[in-house]
Amino acid sequence: MLSKRRSPGKNRLTITALVATAALIPLAACSSGGSSSSSSVAAPSTSASSSSSSSASASPSTTPVLAGGNCSSSAAHITFWAWVPGMSRAVTEFNSTHPDVCVTLQDPGAGSGEYVPLDNALKAGTGAPDVAEVEFDLLPSYEIQHYLVNLVPYGANKYKSLFASWAWNQVTQGSGVYAMPSDFGPMGFYYDQATLSKYHITPPTTWADFATAAEKLHSANPKAYLINFPANDPQWLMDLMAQAGAWPFKYTGGANLTINWTGPAQQKFASFWQKLLDDHAVAAITDLSTEMNTDMDNGTFGAALYSAWAPSYFAPNVKKSMGQWRAAPLPQWSAGAAVGTDWGGSTYPVFSQSKHPAQAAEFSEWLTATDQSWNIVKTPPSSLFPTYLPTLQSPSFKALAYPISGSSQPNQVFSAGALSIPLTTWPPFMTQVLTQGGTTFGGVVTGKETLAQAFAAFQQQEVSYAKAQGFNVSTS
Amino acid sequence: MSETALRPSAGVATRPSTPGRRHRRSAYARRRGRSGLAFVTPFMIIFTLFMVAPLGYAIYQSLYTTKLIGGTRYSGFANYSTVLHSGEFWSGVIRVIIFGGIQIPIMLAIAIFFATIFDLGVAKWGPVFRAVYFIPFAVPIVVSSLMWGFLLDPAYGPFNRLMNAVGFNNFNWLSPNLMLPSIIIIAIWEWTGYTCIIMYTALKSVPRDVVEAAILDDTPLWKIILRIKLPMVRPAIIMLVFINSIGAMQLFIEPTILNNYQAGVVTDTWTPVINIYTTSISNGEYQLGAAMAVVLAVVIIAISVASLAFRNRRREFR
Repeated sequence: MLSKRRSPGKNRLTITALVATAALIPLAACSSGGSSSSSSVAAPSTSASSSSSSSASASPSTTPVLAGGNCSSSAAHITFWAWVPGMSRAVTEFNSTHPDVCVTLQDPGAGSGEYVPLDNALKAGTGAPDVAEVEFDLLPSYEIQHYLVNLVPYGANKYKSLFASWAWNQVTQGSGVYAMPSDFGPMGFYYDQATLSKYHITPPTTWADFATAAEKLHSANPKAYLINFPANDPQWLMDLMAQAGAWPFKYTGGANLTINWTGPAQQKFASFWQKLLDDHAVAAITDLSTEMNTDMDNGTFGAALYSAWAPSYFAPNVKKSMGQWRAAPLPQWSAGAAVGTDWGGSTYPVFSQSKHPAQAAEFSEWLTATDQSWNIVKTPPSSLFPTYLPTLQSPSFKALAYPISGSSQPNQVFSAGALSIPLTTWPPFMTQVLTQGGTTFGGVVTGKETLAQAFAAFQQQEVSYAKAQGFNVSTS
Repeated sequence: MSETALRPSAGVATRPSTPGRRHRRSAYARRRGRSGLAFVTPFMIIFTLFMVAPLGYAIYQSLYTTKLIGGTRYSGFANYSTVLHSGEFWSGVIRVIIFGGIQIPIMLAIAIFFATIFDLGVAKWGPVFRAVYFIPFAVPIVVSSLMWGFLLDPAYGPFNRLMNAVGFNNFNWLSPNLMLPSIIIIAIWEWTGYTCIIMYTALKSVPRDVVEAAILDDTPLWKIILRIKLPMVRPAIIMLVFINSIGAMQLFIEPTILNNYQAGVVTDTWTPVINIYTTSISNGEYQLGAAMAVVLAVVIIAISVASLAFRNRRREFR
């Protein structure tokens, strides 16, 4: 019973406060006063290879099983998560030729659609798959938390010579091999032949020529640009920095980390691109978006700095420029050099929660290091670009023709670029880098700040994040 | 109610009772109490399991910090200190307060205007229009945001082309200065119908005799509405302000989806809930996110209770 000594007004206020607090709990589901539909759209970057790409976060236990499930009960059951389209064909082939292993494939969605439930399951200690598709840039994030099984005891090293050296370097840490590399994206200068010849431009061989060509095209047609420069796609940006010798991270395991976005090489890179942005010789819109695809098709963009896998995202939008798209090597910083770079790509690690690591390793090795598997996954709809040398260097693969490229053979260029990719190391918190970078570099897209200013701000943000996470950070 | 036993007065038979002991409730009252408890128990179990327990766990987690190097350690109020000192968090809070402060009054004004019209019965096909106005509420917020995103798209959206045709060059509804006003417009579109229905129902419950007395007194129409009917539906208005201010402070879906149509404007700390989401999911700093959520909850409680208390006190002096 409430005592009579308190004034009625105070009583009412107390009750109101209690009611308000309690009401917050059910109303926690309201957002903007609404239903609790939560979308899982995460980061600004919509780069397809970025781990923070937006996608539905369906829990894998509710997504349909795409392959497997018909095996004998004595077989070792392996759960496999991957979003590559058409992967079920490879799984079915494996299951039919390996009766002692039963692989069940689930597709939780691309990028964060898989990574969020995967991270939750790994943290919780149960529910993680045996094998899953993990992109190169995220491997250190899983290695540092000891979530990955070392595949050396399962015979991984005998496949070393079958892979492009850059790819093998990415999956090793120290003396351990923590994943099997699968596909990647060597970059090239991907151009619309009709548009470029209309403005009398030939594919530039150096970046200086590139700048000249970009200025020339834009002054001839103020509504057109040579390329789109998606500054807010940190992964794409970093890949170009790798080619320029301006890679901003160094991490080889443990607690020591180098972060350098403001060194001389980085500043030279920033000022090169800032000049083109200031002159409006390049545009800055979201990467791999419908808008960019439309603009490429209708001639607003004459070319793109694309990877081997990017055309498959672009191809469905091609109408006017069908058959016109060609590949040329990336422009170089010094004439006569032949430095490539890579954009994205996936690996297939085995997770420490797996109850059948030997069979899981066997599946991962079969999927990535055998001709039987590659003969399936190099074809549509998977269309993976192999790190596996026997396929990568086979004449038939290099001679593949694509409808949007007419009679030209783009794989010749991409395969050649595959063997000269500079070695790079990713920091063990790439999701944070990509999300933060999407925001920090967003100001460059809207013209609010220069690339150099964004780099300086980003340097500060990353150093303070890394220090807060307990790393010993050096800046050069 | 008095705590002491009733004194038996002369001539009236009362139950004997020891001084200082409360009356025992009758068997009927006790049975009613038990069955009431039985009905409430399932809800209380679910409520505790899915609302109270996670809330408590979040508060507990917010006292720890997990680092990639070093693992999980008790950190006391360090996370709260980080949040309180975070300029980006507070500018996000200011942003949603501005959002609510503009969106709610405009929405209420429009909704009350239409509810009054419906209540007066002057609109033909009133029920049809009421249903039409309610339709935006039936559209899930994600879908509305996607739809509005296409309409406001900087490159190919019709609204932009309209503004260009009218004479503004390179108009962008999703530019940094116009993103919040665009979201205000979207939120008003989403919620006015729902608010209108609630106000209409409240207006319909105003007793007719009061209005008829006012009509007999030759009161002009605008005075009837503003001075008689609206004050009588004040509780409904208070409730709408209260609920909408809680919802407005949790703005998340519209900016997150519009971000896909215009890069670089909605940063990862643009609203407090976006900040919490980024901190927890992208940065992996769940404990800091939990602390942020607790601080946000306290701010929301303070603002909504403040609005309630303000209204209540005014009522008491009438």
